[in-house]
Amino acid sequence: MSRNKDTMARRIFSIYLPLSALMLFLLFPFYWTFITSIKPESELYGSVVTYWPQHATFASYIKLFGEFNFLKSMTNSFVVAASSTVVSLLVSMLAAYAFSRYRFKGRKLLMIIFLTNNMFPTVLLLIPLYTIMRSLSILYTPLALVLAYTTFTIPFSVWLLNGYMNDLPQSLEEAALIDGANRFYAFIKIVLPVLVPCLIATGVYIFMTAWNEYTFAVMFTNESNRTIPVALKNLIGQLGVQWDLLTAGGIITIIPVCVMFFFAQRRLVEGLTAGAEKG
Amino acid sequence: MRSRKINITPYFLVAPAFLIMLGVVFVPVAKAILMSFQNYDLRRPNSLKFIGIGNFIEIFHDPLFWDAFVRTLLWVGFGVGLQFLFGFILALILNQKFSGRGIVRAVSLIPWCTPGVLIGLMWRWIYDGNYGVLNDILIRLHIIDEKVPFLAQTNTAFPSVIATIVWQGIPFFALMILAGLQGVSQEMYEAADVDGASRFQKLFKITVPSIKNTIFITLLLRIIWVANSVDLIMNMTEGGPAYSTQTLSIYIFNKANVLNMGYAAAISLILTLMLSLAAVPYLRKRFKEEKV
Amino acid sequence: MKKLLAVLAVLALSISSLTGCGGSTKEESATPKETANAPAENNSADTKDAKSEEETASKETTLTYWYWADNSDYSNKMQEIVKEFNETNKSGITIKAEEQPWDGGAYSQNLFTAAMGGGGPDIATWKLTATPLFTANNLLAELDGYIEKWADKDDIDANLYNIMKQAGGSDKTYVMPWNTQVLYVYYRPSMFKEVGIEVPKTYEEFLTACEKLTRDTDGDGKIDVYGFGMRGAKGGQEPWGSFIHGRGGSFEDFTTDQAVKGMEDFMNLYKKGYVPPTAPADGFNEIIANFKSGRTAMTIHHTGSSAGMVETFGEDVAAFPFPKGDGQWTSMGDTENVIFEKCKDKEAAFEFVSYMAAGKGQQVWCETTGNVPVSKRVQAMPVFQDNKFMKASIEGVSYAGILPILDTTTEWVSTIWPNTISQALSGEITAKEAMETLQKELYK
Repeated sequence: MSRNKDTMARRIFSIYLPLSALMLFLLFPFYWTFITSIKPESELYGSVVTYWPQHATFASYIKLFGEFNFLKSMTNSFVVAASSTVVSLLVSMLAAYAFSRYRFKGRKLLMIIFLTNNMFPTVLLLIPLYTIMRSLSILYTPLALVLAYTTFTIPFSVWLLNGYMNDLPQSLEEAALIDGANRFYAFIKIVLPVLVPCLIATGVYIFMTAWNEYTFAVMFTNESNRTIPVALKNLIGQLGVQWDLLTAGGIITIIPVCVMFFFAQRRLVEGLTAGAEKG
Repeated sequence: MRSRKINITPYFLVAPAFLIMLGVVFVPVAKAILMSFQNYDLRRPNSLKFIGIGNFIEIFHDPLFWDAFVRTLLWVGFGVGLQFLFGFILALILNQKFSGRGIVRAVSLIPWCTPGVLIGLMWRWIYDGNYGVLNDILIRLHIIDEKVPFLAQTNTAFPSVIATIVWQGIPFFALMILAGLQGVSQEMYEAADVDGASRFQKLFKITVPSIKNTIFITLLLRIIWVANSVDLIMNMTEGGPAYSTQTLSIYIFNKANVLNMGYAAAISLILTLMLSLAAVPYLRKRFKEEKV
Repeated sequence: MKKLLAVLAVLALSISSLTGCGGSTKEESATPKETANAPAENNSADTKDAKSEEETASKETTLTYWYWADNSDYSNKMQEIVKEFNETNKSGITIKAEEQPWDGGAYSQNLFTAAMGGGGPDIATWKLTATPLFTANNLLAELDGYIEKWADKDDIDANLYNIMKQAGGSDKTYVMPWNTQVLYVYYRPSMFKEVGIEVPKTYEEFLTACEKLTRDTDGDGKIDVYGFGMRGAKGGQEPWGSFIHGRGGSFEDFTTDQAVKGMEDFMNLYKKGYVPPTAPADGFNEIIANFKSGRTAMTIHHTGSSAGMVETFGEDVAAFPFPKGDGQWTSMGDTENVIFEKCKDKEAAFEFVSYMAAGKGQQVWCETTGNVPVSKRVQAMPVFQDNKFMKASIEGVSYAGILPILDTTTEWVSTIWPNTISQALSGEITAKEAMETLQKELYK
């Protein structure tokens, strides 16, 4: 093992110390969101800031699931985000592979089109997009959101996967090609396993984009298929923020995504070992 | 130049992605570009007309545009730069073996899976000048004596929103780079160990070059994303106070929100050109390397 | 040129791939339809129209209603009102009420986007400031004919109809009154007693009160209570208007000496530290929180927040109308309903909006939200007459007004005003310069 010369002190400085500092920064707001969600309002605006509520209350969580049917927004969000991820990942992977492993006329131009597509602010595209969704008769269905999110995540995913593929040595599949395998076989058997971590990373990106998006979601959904960001925004009226419900909603939103990723991240390391075995 | 016969396979592979994109955004983008050459103000629909580069002339005389222009450079420079730095460090740490790594990897994504609405409000709440926890912590640590109204002062509001975007973007880089690191061959490190290379030598001689494509492309894509982002600033400051957090994307958003579409489209076009310009060096390098 | 050919080739290929292989996804097959956008759009609209006409024929109408709710209780109440309307109306009308986020006023923009895209609701909850934009694009239905025939027409003050007309920029009515909110000053009687002052009778006294109420109560050398909770973020133009008028200025010309003097008063409150230092970024949420936590002694808002105030303070909160100086003015907030031009059964839609304006809907909604009713019959009900906050509101009605509603007003309110004010408060520009900017941008 190359790690055997690492002393404990060294590990503290190279891992635990910087990690703790970063995690403190990353997680403190989450902790604070949680604390806010269980604080009664009088304590929220008290003269002393309390780091653990004196009178914790979970009323907002009960209200959220009882009166609000927050679960429904979560299901909607999940359906939209998962479908967007599958569709976008699939088509992006194909395109990225073409850009990475083939040389063809119009390739550069197409790549540039893909890149610049992401540059234009979406706020200007809203009215025509709304018209398009309406004329396709998919307005106020989850499909409208899936289509919109797919469109805006494809370019990014194509470039990202293309970047990963270019970092993978060509020699990987060339060996297989020399052995007489066709490209499709080489892709499935050789490239895909090595690519798993990158697909997961890109998939997470697509999922998060769809999960958090607000502008399209508010335009293309109605009561029956509202997603989480819109449901949360509904809690901010002209007469202020409903802190308890909003923060409780946030916490409930975050947890399942974290659990999902906890299982997904295991595959992050598997790619390499899988590739190494094949190689 | 391997063969003169046109291989249609790559076209088939690209087609689905291209068609979805073309179908959905081509018409809207074309319309928006046309709008930038029109006096396209929906508040006054009866006076819509083609005005050539009129919008652009107005923009060049608009002090708010130039303020936002400079601020966008800072926003992207500091925002993306710091996200990348911390994200890279986090990825290197998360790539090592330690107990509880799976959980740490999962929870470190939290900032990223938090909806923008909530991020904006939570950070506003943390920065709050009366009841905010940040003030409380800083006072307890004796760093400040008086509460600072972070988002109400022109000199503190912008750094505050930058800190928030950094917070939100760290997990993105951490994850992307972590994924890239999985492709780095372990044998190279072992060889370097034999040569007695130091940690930093290994980092800059092996790790960075092996994932440089990933680094460049994630940086580029993040620059585009951050330059265009409005969610966070809109939810925190709406571009204020005194325009001190108004980036170009916020300026565009505000103009489009009051339906002055032509003006907003013209600024968008400028922003798009700026971003394309940022992409040129990378693209050039990429395409040049491919030739070899 | 070569590149162009290549793109065309790709296009041709991909289209043939679409028709060729059956494995195309839903999204893809939808694409060609989209490119022919205009006709397709009309078709789908036509089919929809045909459908709703059929429904009218059989005397069953379903209409979509968009509204925003300031909190979840109001939202539930709205659903109840609509449910009751659906059950009790005799014309076979079913209203489908859908909540939309208020989103700091972006509600109106979302409504506009939907309407311009050919969709959106038949009826919607409304803010007057959005009217010029929608009427300029011919999206709203003219209501004069329906109001003329309406039995309860005179239950609403004629002056209100006039304000609705002005907002549309013509002599036609597009907006149906629903409820109003008149701003007044909240104060803490106990704090007034502690510093030994009376409720201000004049504008000057009000300014003095702000100064006197600003105190260090625990002797640590830091200010604990500020005299006034200033709203410097979006929405703050409403209380601010009272200062401008307090010195005899007006909204017709912000650059008069009187108006500038009012602006200076406003700025001095901040510069002299009689308002919290967070004022430039404080919105509704902050001014109410500061008042409720005892950090400020006075603040300006309307009856919408009164229930919460009483819940916090019991008897130790009261209200007075913004006092008179060289002039007197307070802001009248508004919420209305509109019917869209595309609505196929405007008769039915009007039945609903009139139910909201003078029927049971009016009464229930105003009782819940504490807003000032527009119906005189409802105003006269004891619930509204016996409330001290409602009283302060009704006292203010005689001099309450609105900002000039022009097509520039939305932009002025959402970005120009807050940023110009914070520039002035931070000392970047003078009161005079700020007022010149405000003048120029509103009357553009």
